[in-house]
Amino acid sequence: MTEQLVAETADTTAAQPSIGSTVNRVTNRREKVSIRNMRFYYGEHEALKTVNLPLYENTVTAFIGPSGCGKSTLLRVLNRIYELYPNQRAEGEVLLDGKNILDPRQDLNLLRAQIGMVFQKPTPFPMTIFDNVAFGIKLYEKLPKSELEDRVVSALKRAGLWSEVKDKLNASGLSLSGGQQQRLCIARGVAVKPEVILLDEPCSALDPISTGKIEELIGELKSEYTIIIVTHNMQQAARVSEFTTFMYLGSVIEFDTTEKVFTNPSQQKTQDYITGRFG
Amino acid sequence: MAEISLTDVALGDDRQKVLRRFTLADVLFHRSTQAAAILVLVILGGVMMSLVVGSMPAIRAFGFGFLTTESWNPVTEKFGALAPIYGTIVTSLIAMLIAVPLGIGIAIFLTELCPPMFRRPIGIAIELLAGIPSIIYGIWGFFVFAPFLQQTLQPWLINATKHIPVLSSLFAGPPYGIGILTASLILAIMVLPFITSITRDVFETVPPVLKEAAYGVGCTTWEVVKNVVLPYTRIGVVGGIMLGLGRALGETMAVTFVIGNAHRISESLLQPGTTISATIANEFTEAIGDVYTSSLIALGLILFIITFIVLACARLMLLRLEKMSGG
Repeated sequence: MTEQLVAETADTTAAQPSIGSTVNRVTNRREKVSIRNMRFYYGEHEALKTVNLPLYENTVTAFIGPSGCGKSTLLRVLNRIYELYPNQRAEGEVLLDGKNILDPRQDLNLLRAQIGMVFQKPTPFPMTIFDNVAFGIKLYEKLPKSELEDRVVSALKRAGLWSEVKDKLNASGLSLSGGQQQRLCIARGVAVKPEVILLDEPCSALDPISTGKIEELIGELKSEYTIIIVTHNMQQAARVSEFTTFMYLGSVIEFDTTEKVFTNPSQQKTQDYITGRFG
Repeated sequence: MAEISLTDVALGDDRQKVLRRFTLADVLFHRSTQAAAILVLVILGGVMMSLVVGSMPAIRAFGFGFLTTESWNPVTEKFGALAPIYGTIVTSLIAMLIAVPLGIGIAIFLTELCPPMFRRPIGIAIELLAGIPSIIYGIWGFFVFAPFLQQTLQPWLINATKHIPVLSSLFAGPPYGIGILTASLILAIMVLPFITSITRDVFETVPPVLKEAAYGVGCTTWEVVKNVVLPYTRIGVVGGIMLGLGRALGETMAVTFVIGNAHRISESLLQPGTTISATIANEFTEAIGDVYTSSLIALGLILFIITFIVLACARLMLLRLEKMSGG
């Protein structure tokens, strides 16, 4: 069985990944991020093999695929967070508004302000709820107190957390429930006013109600941001995204509108995965 | 079904024997750990008792004045602890002033900035520094470090601060080499590895994803350390500092070598002084008469109390920090 899978993958990777035939018909959106011939290495190991992918402005793109297929790795390339670790490197180009962010001269702090990230596990900082959100703002802007408060409140409102925390802004961020913490992290990300938001399995540690709230939030946020979400949950991908990227063994197998990928995928591998035959 | 299995167990003689043995072992285990814990309390109580009893003659002879008198005269048997108390606190504070920023700086470099290939060698070097016996710091301090300071740092300090009001008396000459400042510097070197290795260890407990999140909103390394790493690890860092301070307060041998052992309080940090532990170590063999011996024991009791106060302050500080962060 395994051998067969490997053989099949070899076939599909040899062919050019299918960059959706339907995409151009459906979207007239601008390409916010363009990944061009990007390869990624953990030391000698090639974790991503020549990825080409467009990510459109004001849409939600989902990355799906079995564990270890490289979808989180791809996400981590987009804000170069991988550079915190030695022996990890990316080659090729990733264009944000036409500018290559893999350029060594790229200012990383600025990049990460433009491209925010929310992680699998909630990561509130060890400070108050207010400070958690104000944190990112204070890094970039010197605002008078009242203006800072406005920004924090509006970020919390946008993350759908305001009604739950408005009476305890001075409590520790760690005192919130998991779902609230995750929305706090989204508020923190939104407060910096990024252009792209990366979500790395943001709901995998959450209960269904919190998951529902975050999915709703994603739907609202996409009018202002370009959102990329990595998820293990195919229903979630189908619910929240306009575009879906199916990845397998470090390659993009298929990229198309979510509807097309889930109803009539052009690759056999994708078909097998979404019908649950493997993965 | 349940009944049957219960009676089965009841009937199984072998199994009951095994179970009884397990219970016995568990009770033994419980009692022995309990005894070990109680032993600590007994030892602590015993030390305190003997210190209090031993220092009674001195307390009776000098009363509260023991704490506020500077003179220490074995001939007239008039003893006061002010000079050693002053020396102990001042040397320890200066040592911490130097060692804390340095130690935390090294720890930050090692965990956040250092290329991986240098991490281990530097870490091992610091642990070796902690392993050097204090007597070696003592002779090195006396024969190498103090003469070096006498010729370089101290003349420079005296000259540089000549016309600055407060500093000029703080660094008033002549440069002896030995003295309060030299002892402080030696202490700083001695506590540095403790502070460094503890803070490094606690820095390493910060979850990588938390740091990623901070970098992910665009923090620089300094901002990540200031806003995430230090707040997350503050309890451990304060613990490391307190351990270092405890060591500095009690350190005897190295200090005895380089402090000059003079029972007086000088304005200048370059002048000789003494500390509690240095006084005890120096004079125990020559202490004749009840009052002299008792005064030395009373010094020990004072050191014990100072250490206790330091620990209590650390606790208070931690509570404050918790409150401030809304935890």
